Amino acid sequence: MMGALAKATALAQSAEALDDQKPVGPGPAKLVLQVNGSRQEIAVEPRETLLDVLRNRLQLTGAKEICDRATCGGCTVLVNGQPIYACMKLAIEMDGQEILTVEGLGDQKSLTRVQQAFVECDALMCGYCTPGFVMSLTALFNEKKNPTPAEIRKACSGNLCRCGSYPNIFKAAQKVAESS
Amino acid sequence: MRSFEYVKARSVEGAVQLSSSESRFLSGGIDLLGEMKEYIVSPRRVIDLKTIPNLDRIDTSTETWKLGANVRIAEIASNDQVRAMLPGLAEAAAEVGSPQIRNVATLGGNLAQHSRCWYYRHRDLRCLKRGGSTCYAREGENKYHSLYSGNPCISPVVSNLAVILAALGAKVIVRRGEQEVTFAIPDLYSDAWNNPLAHNSLRPADLIVRVEVPIAKNRSTYMQISEKRDFDWALVSCAAAGQKTAGAWAQLAVFLGAVAPIPYAVESPLLERGELTSDSIASIAESLAAKATPLAQNGYKLPIAQALVRRCLDRIIT
Repeated sequence: MMGALAKATALAQSAEALDDQKPVGPGPAKLVLQVNGSRQEIAVEPRETLLDVLRNRLQLTGAKEICDRATCGGCTVLVNGQPIYACMKLAIEMDGQEILTVEGLGDQKSLTRVQQAFVECDALMCGYCTPGFVMSLTALFNEKKNPTPAEIRKACSGNLCRCGSYPNIFKAAQKVAESS
Repeated sequence: MRSFEYVKARSVEGAVQLSSSESRFLSGGIDLLGEMKEYIVSPRRVIDLKTIPNLDRIDTSTETWKLGANVRIAEIASNDQVRAMLPGLAEAAAEVGSPQIRNVATLGGNLAQHSRCWYYRHRDLRCLKRGGSTCYAREGENKYHSLYSGNPCISPVVSNLAVILAALGAKVIVRRGEQEVTFAIPDLYSDAWNNPLAHNSLRPADLIVRVEVPIAKNRSTYMQISEKRDFDWALVSCAAAGQKTAGAWAQLAVFLGAVAPIPYAVESPLLERGELTSDSIASIAESLAAKATPLAQNGYKLPIAQALVRRCLDRIIT
């Protein structure tokens, strides 16, 4: 026989589980985001993408909105260490996830190795795609210290540079690979 | 996007209870958000499936592996057991989208994704597939369209995984209301062959729960030809799988993708008899021409399809 306490707990849990399946929206709903190590409590409509929230609510404009259709990579951010397109995620899906944007990487005095290599190798022209490439390569180097040129290209395959700075981007990545 | 309610499902039953004809299921979101941004669909409610426990597992404990609908494409591509036992499946997964897409896109979403036809995806057009009266691709820009179709819509199936899973003889387990329905891969898409409105045979509130893949076929491969080497849709894709024991072949199957609204079965008595010589492989590839109905701009797909059939069969016999 189930004890009275256990019964009550089970009942409470099932009620909680049902409650948990309660829809939010379409108006603003409360959301806690972990961005670049800090906790952000905001209210968002379910239809707001992670990219819109980062750029327009949190003033983190490093991730860029270019194609807005999972094609260009300008909005690449890391979620739990993995690169994703912020334009194709609803912000409201992201509670409890660790989000890292280019603003979380370093500062003007101390760039990361990937950022430093981009500067040294002149790996950009207009710079619009740069934060996305930097995030994709940051994820690669977190996973692998010394990737091959093929692995570097694969890691960048979801990012486009319309100025065509690819040779210097790959040079920068190669420089990081060789220095580790 | 129009506004909508959002809810996290905690179980398959819960997700189904929450659904209606005006809701959509969300997992990776790559296909769904694209359609919502173009106002192709504007659901009242979006039901997040990622919060359902255990739907992201690969169970390899029996001879039929069970892959949950929420298994991410990146996991299928990199899973050591999948790579060893079902290499064609890992190869197909590795060709899906880009790293950023593979990190979020899921098995269920890849199978259920909708047409990529540029007329269908155009927010200002109402083509046949969207309930209009004309397939604009037939007389228009049709270089990416089907060589075979049983209806006036010629937008092809674009799921890489459907093509290899068809060759592997996989089954898709779908929750339909209170019931569980099982589809072989050809059945999961058969409605799209005849019905221009259909992307697959699923009804609006149907939920793909898992895919069951028998591992009996110990040889499998997947190849595609695209305009770009990476991060591109297949112009044509092809998968071949079979069981080889002591020099004899059984259960050989070859399917093509991006040439028909369904994964297109390459049918031949030579495959049924398991005769894989260089002559028979050439004649199997040749036979594809008979039923093809190329349009103004997509005739180039036929020799690519024939080459891929040859290459895939060559690869599994060596």
